[in-house]
Amino acid sequence: MTSGPGAAREVNLMPLIIVSADDFSQGREIAHRVAGVLGYRYVGRDLLASVAEQHQVSQEELVQALEDPPGFLTRRSRRQRLLAFIEEGCLQQLQDDGVVCYGLAGHLYVRGIAHALKVRIITEVGQWAQAIAESEGVPLERAQKVVERRKEEQKRWSQDAYNLDQSDPSLYDMVLSLDTLEPDKAVEIICDTAGYRKFQAMTYSRKLMQDKALASRVRVELMKSFPDIKVEANDGTVVAYLQSLKKDQRKKQEAVRQLAGGIEGVRHVEVHVIRDYFGQAAQSSR
Amino acid sequence: MSDNLQVLLLDDEPIVGRRLKPALAKIGCEVEVFEDPEEALARMAQQEFDVVVTDIRMDQIDGMQVLEFVRERWPRSKVIMITGYAMMSLAREAMEKGAFDFIAKPFKPDDLRKVIAKAAKALGSEIDFGAAEVDKANG
Repeated sequence: MTSGPGAAREVNLMPLIIVSADDFSQGREIAHRVAGVLGYRYVGRDLLASVAEQHQVSQEELVQALEDPPGFLTRRSRRQRLLAFIEEGCLQQLQDDGVVCYGLAGHLYVRGIAHALKVRIITEVGQWAQAIAESEGVPLERAQKVVERRKEEQKRWSQDAYNLDQSDPSLYDMVLSLDTLEPDKAVEIICDTAGYRKFQAMTYSRKLMQDKALASRVRVELMKSFPDIKVEANDGTVVAYLQSLKKDQRKKQEAVRQLAGGIEGVRHVEVHVIRDYFGQAAQSSR
Repeated sequence: MSDNLQVLLLDDEPIVGRRLKPALAKIGCEVEVFEDPEEALARMAQQEFDVVVTDIRMDQIDGMQVLEFVRERWPRSKVIMITGYAMMSLAREAMEKGAFDFIAKPFKPDDLRKVIAKAAKALGSEIDFGAAEVDKANG
């Protein structure tokens, strides 16, 4: 071991800060300011331009996938695919420490990551409705109905897309209400909390992030042929779960192995088949 | 005192010490291996180690207690936690209590070497990976 001057410096292992909010513009402002105060990189909706280009889809369609309630124009399978593109792009960005992420539904796919500080900004109906009534010049009562509907749509959106209720506080490390806190205070609290040692990046949580990024990359590739496929990854081993009729099982397993095996970072592929009983029943009744 | 990085490795599974000791020796670490946490604590009461690598789940004394002991007795030492039962809450608890890093088992010896190198850097030192790289290249 060679000792040098200025010894005993801590290696800086900055967390990820994943902000989400029920009032999009207020949440964005707070997330931006947190990034500025801490000197972290901000990853937000701007990312959608490169995601759109990479996958040859329109940016508008990606925004709709993030915002529109289920059953609103876009087919569910199409929307899941668009969300998978966003997830892949976002997870790629979150491989670095010291990032503030907002507006990409990151809070729904970084669960279990120890160095991701997940913050939810909530605004009660009254305050939010007041803002809408003032900005859009509509009566307060009507604005309140708009807000209530938006909150309900957001809940249905997350349940449909990720099988999670994003209004559930247990998904977050911290829930801040703008009814009781000024935005300045919210920024201060988030910045202070980011300094807690428990949110520092570590080998374990970084590896989980790498695994999530690989799984999302493989899923995007496999979804072209298998729209409902689910994928997990662990240190280069990929486990894919797909539905299949018994007669197609081997063919599909082989196809998944071929496709996934060619993706960078994949060392081994396992394919688990979930028997498609509904499809089976439909076939046998023909 | 030697210039080499002094490492204490504690894991109640003998295979872990047998496998990791030579891997760390290759990058110039002087490694003492313990399977019994009480013996490890007694040794650490006598001597400061630059780096302590400890399993978490062990009988009688667990890794969190080892971490607390080291943080109190030798605040300069870097403690690396390793466990086969990794989960977010445990990882955060370890970091909050002052762990330098947290690694889930199974891991490759090279993964630990990289973390040890980071610990050495945090202590103001550098580790020469040359020997380990040559060894890897030779298979």
